[in-house]
Amino acid sequence: MSPVKRMGIVAALVCAAPLASADEAAAEPVIPAPEFVYCTTCHGIDMGGNVVLAAPRLSGMDAWYVARQLRGFSKGWRGVHPEDAGGHEMRPMAAMLSDAEIAAVAKYVSRVQSAPPAVTVDGDAGRGKALYASCVACHGPAAAGDRELASPPLTGLDDWYQLEQLKKYRAGILGSHPDDSYGQQMRAAAALLADEQAMADVVRYIATLGAQ
Amino acid sequence: MTNGNISRRRFLNLVGAAGGATALYQTARALELIRETGAMPQLELRSVGGEGRKVLILGAGIAGLTVAYELERAGYDCTILEASHRVGGRIITLRHGDVVDEMGYRQVVDFDDEPHLYFNAGAARIPGHHERAMHYCRVLGVDLEIMANDNRLAWTQDDAAFGGERVRVREYTTSARGFMSELLAKALNTSAFDQPLDEADRERLLAFVRSFGDLSDDGTYRGSPRAGYASGGFLKHGELKPALDFGELLNSSFWRYSMHFNQHVDWAAPLMTPKGGMDMIVRAFLRKIRTQPKLDAQVQAITLTNDGVDVVYNHRGRRHKVSADYCFNSIPSHFINGIPNNFSKEYIGALNAMRRGNFFKIGLQMKERFWERENIYGGISYTNQRINQVWYPSHGIFEKKGIVLGCYAFGPDQSNWFERLPPDERIAAAARMGEKLHPGYTDHIETGVSVAWGRMNHMMGCGNRYEEDTEHLFHTVQAPEGRHWMIGDQISYHSSWQEGAFASALHAVQDLDSRVRAEAGTA
Repeated sequence: MSPVKRMGIVAALVCAAPLASADEAAAEPVIPAPEFVYCTTCHGIDMGGNVVLAAPRLSGMDAWYVARQLRGFSKGWRGVHPEDAGGHEMRPMAAMLSDAEIAAVAKYVSRVQSAPPAVTVDGDAGRGKALYASCVACHGPAAAGDRELASPPLTGLDDWYQLEQLKKYRAGILGSHPDDSYGQQMRAAAALLADEQAMADVVRYIATLGAQ
Repeated sequence: MTNGNISRRRFLNLVGAAGGATALYQTARALELIRETGAMPQLELRSVGGEGRKVLILGAGIAGLTVAYELERAGYDCTILEASHRVGGRIITLRHGDVVDEMGYRQVVDFDDEPHLYFNAGAARIPGHHERAMHYCRVLGVDLEIMANDNRLAWTQDDAAFGGERVRVREYTTSARGFMSELLAKALNTSAFDQPLDEADRERLLAFVRSFGDLSDDGTYRGSPRAGYASGGFLKHGELKPALDFGELLNSSFWRYSMHFNQHVDWAAPLMTPKGGMDMIVRAFLRKIRTQPKLDAQVQAITLTNDGVDVVYNHRGRRHKVSADYCFNSIPSHFINGIPNNFSKEYIGALNAMRRGNFFKIGLQMKERFWERENIYGGISYTNQRINQVWYPSHGIFEKKGIVLGCYAFGPDQSNWFERLPPDERIAAAARMGEKLHPGYTDHIETGVSVAWGRMNHMMGCGNRYEEDTEHLFHTVQAPEGRHWMIGDQISYHSSWQEGAFASALHAVQDLDSRVRAEAGTA
């Protein structure tokens, strides 16, 4: 099994680099290498997300963050807790990737573009703005993230996914691994949001930042 | 139709003359929706040869291939796009060297390269009343053989009963019927029935009960040859096996479901399967259709237009666009939301509401057919272990080796347990559980393959269906959106059966035909 799998990956990396042919304009879509088609099966065409599979929108995310989260799966930070069904589904995919492969797929994710996320969570943006005060330090006033602080941008994420992740952090399904210090920070931050309504309010406010 | 009734076609012509093409089409649809007999429909598609009508088919499983076969015969110009590396969808027969394209756990089948060593990891059985499946096997020339789905000599095992020891299905079933009959006979003898029975009725009912449970003349159960003999029966008098303990019978979970499995509408004997593997049906379709599916062609966008459907797809690193007059789409419902489209809110909402299933199967190559030494030739053993069932091949009897189905897990609770293990650990777990049915089982296993339908690339599920009380959603996805029809077993009340895929495809094709006839004004 292993040698065949490796051959597939090598072929993918070879195909990954030159995507646009001479007659394609710069605005042409980023076409995934065959090995990255796997990602789009669940995460949607152009990594635009698919709530039906609980697979989040990832298009345009910072490559450094995508790479760190992918490594988090093989390090046991994600997809290990019995209640993290989505994480369990993702984990084998992430765990099979080498560092070079993670870099390649993160680059693809950062380059690909999809329609902006839709607003699906019902929350009060006004209340959310006040609650977001505790998020600003790391994620920034525009929720654009800060690489120095290892905090990701939030505006490109699906609102339903942010809500689910906040609930998972609050329940300790995420952010419990002793080596996952950033996850632990996020778990502590999620604990500041009293209930699901508070989380929905914050998420709704973040959506207004993305719309600007 | 006769007897003075106007024919369906004549009626539609009248509707068309009075109300125009739209009324005609809607009436035809209503007639189709009312008629549901389970029978293979008589297809009389209007020939459109020379009109250059283009059809785009998304997905090369049974539904897509059926649409291509029927519409090509009626003169349509068909194109088939298939996202995966192979044709057939969940009709998959695994043989030496085949790739199982599971997310993160790609496997290559390591069975010996022998014609009888194959594993139907998707559809495996066809009952005689699946008229559409039988019709296509007949017209495509697919050679079928009888497959033993039920074997009285197979085993049942439950940790909670008989000290966890295995019991022959015939012994369990015979004792259970015996005890149930004995109870009924006693009730009859005490006239404890509400309904008045005359003496003749009572005698007949008692005789029926005695026969049902093979009771002694006095109405008690003292064992039966139906359970097999303890000894003798050929050159010596057959000694009956003692009746099993009724309390232990109840302790076992066998009576809850598996004991009656062979009574189920779709699993009752005899069942059939193509000689050499279920994918013989797919191969036969490919021989009979002109257009060959384009593999590795993943749909990127679906746009309904005023007079057709535009589809964008990627194929090996390049993006293409194709326009067609009609589109038949078997992409799993749970993926549609992730594909840019301009479907109505109602249509996409109904597709999103469908739930995906996740069956899980393991195929094991056994270095010898040890089950045949236990007098088992085909059929299924049942256990309360997570593997649920062990299937013995009905074909290749007396060959040296055989492929056994070593696990069939249904639904998320059972399937997720296996899905979360890497493939080698799945095989090891199935081996441990199989030991309860066959001591020494593990030593016979040479290699195995697992197919987690909930994790297969371009599938991520199987047996999609709605929850209860959502018939209106089903009607929404069964009806076309513009010139786009959803098809596949998911658009049927026989999800995870080929018959459901055939039925949905034929329904959609007939619907298209109604529309074409309406537009031509010649219903």
